[in-house]
Amino acid sequence: MEFKSSREGDDLVIALAGTLTFDDHENFRAVVTLITDTDTGMVVLDLSALTMIDSAGIGMLLLANDRGAKQGKAMRLRGVTGHVAKVVELSKIEQLIPID
Amino acid sequence: MTAPRDRMTTGAAAAGLDGHDLTARILVVDDLRSSRLLIGSVLMTAGYCDIVYAEDGAEAVLRLREQAFDMVILDIVMPRMDGFEVCRRIRGELQLDIPILIQTGVTEADRRVQAFDAGASDIVSKPINAGELVSRVRLHLDRRRLIRRLEAYRQRMQDELEAAQDMQMSLLASDADVSGIVVPRGASVETFYQPSNTLGGDLWQIFPVDETRFAVFMVDLSGHGVSAAINAFRVHMLAGGLGALRADPSAWMEALNRGLAEILPVEHFAAAFYGVIDPAAGRIDYAAAGWPEPVLLQADGGWQALDGSGLILGCSSAACYEARSLTVAPGDRLFVYSDALCEDFDRPHRSLPTAGVAAAATAALADDSRDFAGAVLDQVFADRGAGARGGFRDDMTFVLVTLEETA
Repeated sequence: MEFKSSREGDDLVIALAGTLTFDDHENFRAVVTLITDTDTGMVVLDLSALTMIDSAGIGMLLLANDRGAKQGKAMRLRGVTGHVAKVVELSKIEQLIPID
Repeated sequence: MTAPRDRMTTGAAAAGLDGHDLTARILVVDDLRSSRLLIGSVLMTAGYCDIVYAEDGAEAVLRLREQAFDMVILDIVMPRMDGFEVCRRIRGELQLDIPILIQTGVTEADRRVQAFDAGASDIVSKPINAGELVSRVRLHLDRRRLIRRLEAYRQRMQDELEAAQDMQMSLLASDADVSGIVVPRGASVETFYQPSNTLGGDLWQIFPVDETRFAVFMVDLSGHGVSAAINAFRVHMLAGGLGALRADPSAWMEALNRGLAEILPVEHFAAAFYGVIDPAAGRIDYAAAGWPEPVLLQADGGWQALDGSGLILGCSSAACYEARSLTVAPGDRLFVYSDALCEDFDRPHRSLPTAGVAAAATAALADDSRDFAGAVLDQVFADRGAGARGGFRDDMTFVLVTLEETA
């Protein structure tokens, strides 16, 4: 997994690319740090370049959402397509993290 | 006579002030008395005190058979048996992995390769330089000690993992126990479970509900390894305490979810399926939490997917799980499987759609020559990379329920 962050108005946008799996635990810490360190109230995770996610990857999204929420930051997902959309739809995580 | 095992000296007490192990027993082999004594005195000066001498290769082999050594320092040119032959015997018939330090003159350059080929660990030049000899002896003894420690650690971890795996397998009911529940209720059940890297987070259970119904529960804890396995134990315990809710899939799943929400850390969760099967009434009631679509393989050759969607367990204690149902006929089969069967993690776009799972299961059922589990795995993995079938990257679990044909 690779990621790039940018500002869109008042939002922090983090675009994830590649695959998000069990092997990305270390990598993903930097994403969580970006979310906890940002001064914006809204964080958008753009998954349009993410080709695959497994259960551990879903867990990482939940972790990021939880860490952000603890600091009063809201998180949203966007660009959910393909294999990622299938897994996200099955697990119904839109009940926890809104999806655009 | 059997060769003594090479010995291992460990522990802080055995180590010198600078961390080197000075209790190592070293065999010095040289036909020249003056050389033996020189090497011995260099080693003694460095603090090594357990030194044994041999006057030639034949005596060296004899000593090596008699007692265990941590290292051998070996001359090449000796009467009766030369150093190369001693090397070959140590590695061959004696099967020892102790370091062998060969001493050779600078003029014998081509012999160095020969020495390594025979099994030498390292070479020191003659005439002996005291500093170099001691450095090399220390280096090899330290290296050997570290490797031994790592080996011992790895072995201990492996033993622990295997013990944990046995415990986990014991959570799964025996075929006889399963039959005892389902056969009187008009069904038969086949199960398959194989964990990834020795420990996993999948679990299946079969519960009696009442006189005509039984329940199938399958769960997949996120991640794998030790944490997933511990969570599987927690689920097993929680599920066992939900006896009063067994007839109500929605309430059962919600209660399990509340229990898991309390104990699972935020990034951990579980996917699950819970179905109450009533062969007499021809009906299945179920609830699901992010579970890959189970399939009903109908007796008439058709198939139908069940809805596996639902918020994964353990994330929100307020989550609701809809009760769903479908009608079934005698001879129908319900196939419930973990995502390891349909997901191809190396090529996600090639993951098996539900129709593909149904086709594989149907083909496997048509194959009378072998058991269902083997046949369905061959069907699914025929298409994936070599080796995918042998050690699964994720836990592989499935349950096949067959509703008895009416006589």
